[in-house]
Amino acid sequence: MPPPEVSALVEHLFRHSAGQMVSRLACWLGAARLDLAEEAVQDALVRALSTWPFSGVPAEPRAWLFQVARNRALDLLRREASLRGKLEGLVEACGEPPLALAQTPALGDDELAMMFMCCHPSLPPPARVALTLKTVGGFSVEEIAAAFLAEPDAIAQRLVRAKHQIRDQAIAIEIPPESELGSRLESVLDVLYLLFNEGYSAHGGENLTRAELCGEAIRLAEILAESRATDLPVVHALLALMLLQASRLPARVDEAGDLLLLAEQDRGAWDRELIARGLRHLERAASGTAMTAYHVEAAIAATHAVAPDEASTDWGYVLQLYDDLLAIKPSPVVELNRAIALAMAEGLEAGIAAIGRIEADPALARYYLLPAALGRLWLETGDPKRAAQYYEEALARPCSAPERRFLERQLTKCRRPAPR
Amino acid sequence: MAKYLVLVRGSGMPSTLSPQEMQKVVQKYMSWAEDLRKAGPVVHGEKLRFGEGRVLRGNGGKMVVTDGPYAESKEIVGGFWLIEAGSYDEMLKLLASHPHLDGSGTLEVREVEDTSRRG
Repeated sequence: MPPPEVSALVEHLFRHSAGQMVSRLACWLGAARLDLAEEAVQDALVRALSTWPFSGVPAEPRAWLFQVARNRALDLLRREASLRGKLEGLVEACGEPPLALAQTPALGDDELAMMFMCCHPSLPPPARVALTLKTVGGFSVEEIAAAFLAEPDAIAQRLVRAKHQIRDQAIAIEIPPESELGSRLESVLDVLYLLFNEGYSAHGGENLTRAELCGEAIRLAEILAESRATDLPVVHALLALMLLQASRLPARVDEAGDLLLLAEQDRGAWDRELIARGLRHLERAASGTAMTAYHVEAAIAATHAVAPDEASTDWGYVLQLYDDLLAIKPSPVVELNRAIALAMAEGLEAGIAAIGRIEADPALARYYLLPAALGRLWLETGDPKRAAQYYEEALARPCSAPERRFLERQLTKCRRPAPR
Repeated sequence: MAKYLVLVRGSGMPSTLSPQEMQKVVQKYMSWAEDLRKAGPVVHGEKLRFGEGRVLRGNGGKMVVTDGPYAESKEIVGGFWLIEAGSYDEMLKLLASHPHLDGSGTLEVREVEDTSRRG
């Protein structure tokens, strides 16, 4: 045995390799044998787990894993053939097994095809999310359950039902033809954005798996952005949006894990590298004629990212972008965000009046951010008593533990105004 | 310096881990091995294949071969290390942080008899 030369494995090697290998094997074996591909990959990882500690990490860990997984898949296929008395034909029918994994994710057309299968519009949306994380992302059922605050059994059942549906409807693992690409891609992007938001929002409390959803959504969007078939402006727009949002993650909470307002965040802690990558993709998003909601949201995020502080943010431009967003995707939540931008651009009273117009919207009746926004604006106008009423109302609406602590902190400020 | 054989029994690793958790476990073993190597005393280590093996027994001059050993899985030797150390105490110090002991794995340490020093 050569002593282990490589002591540190590439970050997420197992998880990412699992996604790549399942995709590669399932492309070969067909969507109906997804379970077989997953079993072979799991076995290969277990082999690595029991061998590498003694023998060291092989020089090409991904190639090693894939070789084992591929051979295991062949074994499983032969076993299936002999069980069904069809020794001849079944293995051949699948064609030549793939020899190796693609060297770079840019060539990862298997993963791309797999994403399209997982996000197929005929599958129920929650199943799309779970399938994507399981097969392309290499997450376990338990991890998916933890990320979505669901019971592992429920997630497992969701996956089984989705796989049956894939088999029954003969949903193929393929990059859809040009004519369908637009609508199919939309479904993939929806899933990625949902993954990202689930990881980004704090409403499940604090756990690591949730934070990793953001990273995974970005990784998958990068595969789309780098693949020839899907190197499209809308993909770059979503990727830019996620990168720019993610750049603020390190500054979003204080040392105690409590949420901070945009104005309170240490902008020096924003991840400059992510911002630069986000801006590059935003530039590439501008190459087409289509203006999607992702474009506008990314432009809003970019405006914040390049501003040295809240006061010098170009609020007039942010307001204009919110008007654009309302035209593309009208929603009461966007109205609320627009009202906050209005308050910053044209004065607190204008913002308060604008929120007043949507205050009674039933879609926002349980949305704690509405009273929280009013609380903040009234506090800034110098009316802490009124602000406190709104923060109390916000606390009466559903919110997570960190959000609750944030609101309580604001409420304390209202009751004991800081000396000026 | 004497040589010590460390028999690693039982897998100590559940196979139901997620890829991410498996990687963490591998990483733990790797960094233990790395630390050991930095200290310089590893002579050799190998992983033994699970699921097969032969047991040879003498039976009054006739060799009897059976498949196995099919002991309880926690009894099976999964791998071994040959490590150089000055004493058992030193060996115990080296092995105290072995990740195999995080679970219910067993390590058996035996000093290799040095015939050149006998007599």
